[in-house]
Amino acid sequence: MPTVSVKWQKELFPAVEIDTSLPPYVFKCQLYDLTGVPPERQKIMVKGGLLKDDADWSTLGVKEGQKLMMMGTADEIVKAPEKGPVFVEDLPEQEQAVAVGYSAGLINLGNTCYMNSTVQCLHSVPELKSALVEYQNSGRSSDLDHLLAMATRDLFSELDKNVKPVNPMQFWMVLRKKYPQFGQLHNGSFMQQDAEECWTQLLYTLSQSLKSSVSRENHDKVKELFGIELVSRVHCQESGEESSESESIYALKCHISQEVNHLHEGLKNGLKSELEKASLALGRSAIYLKESRINGLPRYLTIQFVRFFWKRESNQKAKILRKVDYPLELDVYDLCSDDLKQKLVAPRQFLRDEEGKKVGLKSSKKSSDSKDNDVTMTDAAGSSSSTGESSASTSQEGVPSDKETHLTGVYDLVAVLTHKGRSADSGHYVAWVKQESGKWIQYDDDNPIPQREEDITRLSGGGDWHMAYICMYKARAIQM
Amino acid sequence: MAPADPNNPTLQRDEASIKVPSKDLKKKDNKKDEDLSDEDLALKQQLELYVERVQDSDPGVQKLALESMRQEIRTSTSSMTSVPKPLKFLRPHYGTLKTYYETMKHSDLKNYLADILSVLALTMSAEGEQESLKYRLLGSEGDIGSWGHEYVRNLAGEIAQEYTKRQGEDASIDDLMDLVQQIVAFHMKHNAEPEAVDLLMEVEDLELLIEHVDSTNFKRTCLYLTSSAKYLPGPDDTLVLDIAYMIYLKFEEYPRALQIALFLDNLGYVRQLFTSCDDMLQKRQFCYILARHGVAFVLDEDMVADDSERELMQDIINNMKLTEGYLTLARDIEVMEPKSPEDIYKAHLLDGRASAGASVDSARQNLAATFVNAFVNAGFSQDKLMTVPSEASSGASSGNWLFKNKEHGKASAAASLGMILLWDVDSGLAQIDKYFHSNDNHVIAGALLGVGIVNCSIKNDCDPALALLGDYLDREDPSIRIGAIMGLGVAYAGTQNEVVRHKLIPILGDAKAPLDVIAFTAISLGLVYVGSCNEDIAQAIIFALMERSESELGEPLTRFLPLGLGLLYLGKQESVDATAEVSKTFNEKIKKYCDMTLLSCAYAGTGNVLKVQNLLGHCAEHLDKGENHQGPAVLGIAMVAMAEELGLEMAIRSLEHLLQYGEQNIRRAVPLALGLLCVSNPKINVMDTLSRLSHDQDTEAAMAAIVSLGLIGAGTNNARIAGMLRNLSSYYYKDASLLFCVRIAQGLVHLGKGLLTLNPYHSDRFLLSPMALAGIVTLLHACLDMKAIILGKYHYVLYFLVLAMQPRMLMTVDENLKPFPVPVRVGQAVDVVGQAGRPKTITGFQTHSTPVLLAAGDRAELATEKYIPVSPILEGFVILKENPEYKDDH
Repeated sequence: MPTVSVKWQKELFPAVEIDTSLPPYVFKCQLYDLTGVPPERQKIMVKGGLLKDDADWSTLGVKEGQKLMMMGTADEIVKAPEKGPVFVEDLPEQEQAVAVGYSAGLINLGNTCYMNSTVQCLHSVPELKSALVEYQNSGRSSDLDHLLAMATRDLFSELDKNVKPVNPMQFWMVLRKKYPQFGQLHNGSFMQQDAEECWTQLLYTLSQSLKSSVSRENHDKVKELFGIELVSRVHCQESGEESSESESIYALKCHISQEVNHLHEGLKNGLKSELEKASLALGRSAIYLKESRINGLPRYLTIQFVRFFWKRESNQKAKILRKVDYPLELDVYDLCSDDLKQKLVAPRQFLRDEEGKKVGLKSSKKSSDSKDNDVTMTDAAGSSSSTGESSASTSQEGVPSDKETHLTGVYDLVAVLTHKGRSADSGHYVAWVKQESGKWIQYDDDNPIPQREEDITRLSGGGDWHMAYICMYKARAIQM
Repeated sequence: MAPADPNNPTLQRDEASIKVPSKDLKKKDNKKDEDLSDEDLALKQQLELYVERVQDSDPGVQKLALESMRQEIRTSTSSMTSVPKPLKFLRPHYGTLKTYYETMKHSDLKNYLADILSVLALTMSAEGEQESLKYRLLGSEGDIGSWGHEYVRNLAGEIAQEYTKRQGEDASIDDLMDLVQQIVAFHMKHNAEPEAVDLLMEVEDLELLIEHVDSTNFKRTCLYLTSSAKYLPGPDDTLVLDIAYMIYLKFEEYPRALQIALFLDNLGYVRQLFTSCDDMLQKRQFCYILARHGVAFVLDEDMVADDSERELMQDIINNMKLTEGYLTLARDIEVMEPKSPEDIYKAHLLDGRASAGASVDSARQNLAATFVNAFVNAGFSQDKLMTVPSEASSGASSGNWLFKNKEHGKASAAASLGMILLWDVDSGLAQIDKYFHSNDNHVIAGALLGVGIVNCSIKNDCDPALALLGDYLDREDPSIRIGAIMGLGVAYAGTQNEVVRHKLIPILGDAKAPLDVIAFTAISLGLVYVGSCNEDIAQAIIFALMERSESELGEPLTRFLPLGLGLLYLGKQESVDATAEVSKTFNEKIKKYCDMTLLSCAYAGTGNVLKVQNLLGHCAEHLDKGENHQGPAVLGIAMVAMAEELGLEMAIRSLEHLLQYGEQNIRRAVPLALGLLCVSNPKINVMDTLSRLSHDQDTEAAMAAIVSLGLIGAGTNNARIAGMLRNLSSYYYKDASLLFCVRIAQGLVHLGKGLLTLNPYHSDRFLLSPMALAGIVTLLHACLDMKAIILGKYHYVLYFLVLAMQPRMLMTVDENLKPFPVPVRVGQAVDVVGQAGRPKTITGFQTHSTPVLLAAGDRAELATEKYIPVSPILEGFVILKENPEYKDDH
């Protein structure tokens, strides 16, 4: 009966007796007592092989004092989890898009970057998307307005589904049919176009078709989202005549002159204009000064930088390269009419309190009133779709009459459409869009590139780099 | 040794030195006068008088004149910055004296004159005439050194010429050899060992050297011998090293002798060293050196008599202490804390491009993380993915990470446990055990490979790897078979284990075995018998190659068959010839590929310039479609040229040219070759080239460049490469394949948290570990078709790198082999070959306390006199003993 030493992990059992008349299984049971490893899990190495349960000791030639090594643990055996992980590589493309965190790019069909960037900017408006999804075929299948709306809807859903670049051919065909000017040819290829024109026309068409699709006449979804109400005081200095008029527009213009260094100054400039019209009092045409104020705020504030002007001598739209800074957070309070200002007071105070609370400052007394302290700005985004559906009166009144949501006049930058080049009909358009995750993506046609937020404000011009042409701000709404 | 200046007058010139003051005076006069000074004029006239008198009929006058002439010449030869005056003035009379000499009768006087003529010939003799030698042989055989150093050197040069001439004519050389004896003795006494060695090499009689070396100059002599061996053609290089070995042996410099024995791959010498050395500490040090080199060596009673001592030493050779030392180093440097892949990626340092939306796992990215985790935490026995204790099974238990990998990815994940527990066989096997009971074939395959990795370079009496893996070799499932085969290859690399051979060879002949199984079998056999020239295996692989069908020969994995064959002959030069001849009969498709692979393997690490030229020639051809042998040819250039620093620099330049003019398949291999040349040695110029290539239009070239960036930075934590890779990770964030390569490279740069190296060269860049080279070369060959192998389902070939992984440390231990901190200076190594005196061996050093890390090109020396290292090369484990002569100052 030889005694051997058995090494198991870092332990050494010095004297284990082997009864060579009994099968090795017995030996394993001995070891079970010592180590707690069940015999079937034991692997004992003898002479470059494993000890079998039914082996014959005599053939193995175990010597007195030999050192054996045992491997095995009493640990739980690793089992595959019942539900294996899902890998990106196995997902259909649609779900990969979710995983990637941003939607697809658009293929350039030949100077269609103006269109691609416009579509990408508008695509970032979830309310518009949901409105289009609800949009039904109302039997006017041949109507071009309708076709374009349908094409937009399809394109948006394609963008959401794919990771690889989407080909907007269908959309482009319809757009060209509806607006033949986009189909202009030059030297046999399509010409570069002004993105602003595309933007305006597209929104107009969508507004038309979305309006008519819903039974209620006044419901204008696009207007509700993008429409800005202005009240203007038209004043003639010569005659002292004064009148007031109101209008609704889709975009504020930022006029760029020598003094303008910042978006705010440009907007102020843009709201003042001189016009010549027939004066009743004078009996001739006279110069009138028109001063506008915002009377109703949109959910999405579109600002166009008037960078292009018609240069007669070169016969093209020339570009103003002047640097005009714009903020990530825009407050239009001082552009509002007095009526509106009053309505904004309470929500703004509320917003300030909320923000103060957020940064851990002492909350003002007012905040104690509101129980829903958890309301944060991000919630506003989620709730906005519900308010959007609520009533048609919202847009007319500016501040939504809805009990819950109030606009504050504070806006966050969500999309920038930039132009690079020296004239509107040439160069390159690119869309810079903030994703729901808060990350910025530069959509350069078919190539989405992640960008840093700091770099977005650097698109303010003053060189030959991309510069902002259209900015889209999203309202920071609060719930009260 | 005692400092001695060769120009100092020695004993023979004592009498001459008396006259020195007057000579100085002479020189000053000379400066004043443009023409001849009075003194010089006098000297000139004096000499002319001597010349006349020499031709006098009176022997007495003759003798006096010759004596005086000789006196004048000897006095002046002590300084040799310009032609000495007496020689100058005697020049016009050289012809006269020569003619007169011919007419003289044989006598002592004639010999005297011959001596003088011999010296005069130093400046007078026409090119190729060897008159100095001629007259020397005719003259009296007086002390050679008495005529000065320059004379001896000139003579040596003429002997070399005369020797080749006589060799050609088959004439006797005995008279020359007498002279050689004298010259060598003179050189060796006067700090001119390189000259002595050069002369002996010229006359092909290095044996003479052994008699002439003494304890003061043998080190420099041997240093010169060993470093010149690199530039000698075979078989001279072996001869030179043999001599160096014998000299070391004579002076009992055993560790150095062992190095040479290992370089020659002569285990007989190693045995001789063990028997002739009787110092236990030295023998233990031998064991450490053997362990680092990765030789399978078994001690017997003749070498070490004492049983327990022998067991201890055998344990050292078997690398059983490696894990302990490595972990001591890690604890000392305080890097035990496990690192997660995210700690390596450092995504927060990238702007705005942090990996978007981690909501869904990407199998490829998880696989990359598995490898990064394995490389970074290699050998630390703990990490954050695989070894998380099972108590924390709430979310992140080890099982879970395993199953975050897909199919064959699970094999790599299970095997990564082996990498994390590297060298720690006892606990490694225990932890891997649980995977053996899995019902997933991939997991079992990974567990088998993991066992192999844990046992890499460790030899255990119980042979656990063989016992465990042996049973799985005949399984049905190919992935399990590959796991077991590769595991065996890694575990027994370089051991030439008979049992492994018997188990693996039949697989090569198995007609039913799929190609991948056969390919991995060939590699494993090549690794186990690396550099053995084993005929049986060579035959088996050759047959396996011949049996492949035409279509199989086109498969990417087929390249492993010729490579396995090549590894058998790694560094064995001509031994490959027979096999190379056989390979010429192969199918066209694989013939050239096989030829290149065999050539490059056989001459790997030899620095053979002719072979480099041959390979370059193959790269210059423009290929027909479908040929792919240029890839291994490019790798071959690197394998051959990596031997020494000069050849390496030249190879880098040649590769740069290939990059510009080569075809696509060459451009893809160039980055890999650069990676091999500078493995774990981030040279700035190579780094820049690779960085440029990493943005190459050709994705395969870019991938190769990225992986190579990882290789050259392997284990260095090099901040510049880390930064480059970080930027690449954001540049390629959309391309999953390239991103995978970037991740792997990032893992390599932080290999073992910067404590490991992949460099197959060690011991002052003198020895090449064949096992390590084989591991790297195998991976590089796999990288030649990145898409099919590493990005396909054979990514576990990355684990072949484990063969080259070694701690880049200096760990000093006391006589009981316990870690023992002492101050050391670590700095850039300086080449001191052929320098007299005791030159500084390092520069720009810093003083640290051991254990310390050594970067590529670093050398260490003890900063204290209190201890003496047992090994002259301070790398790896070094035993210290107390200096008996040390006296504390305080």
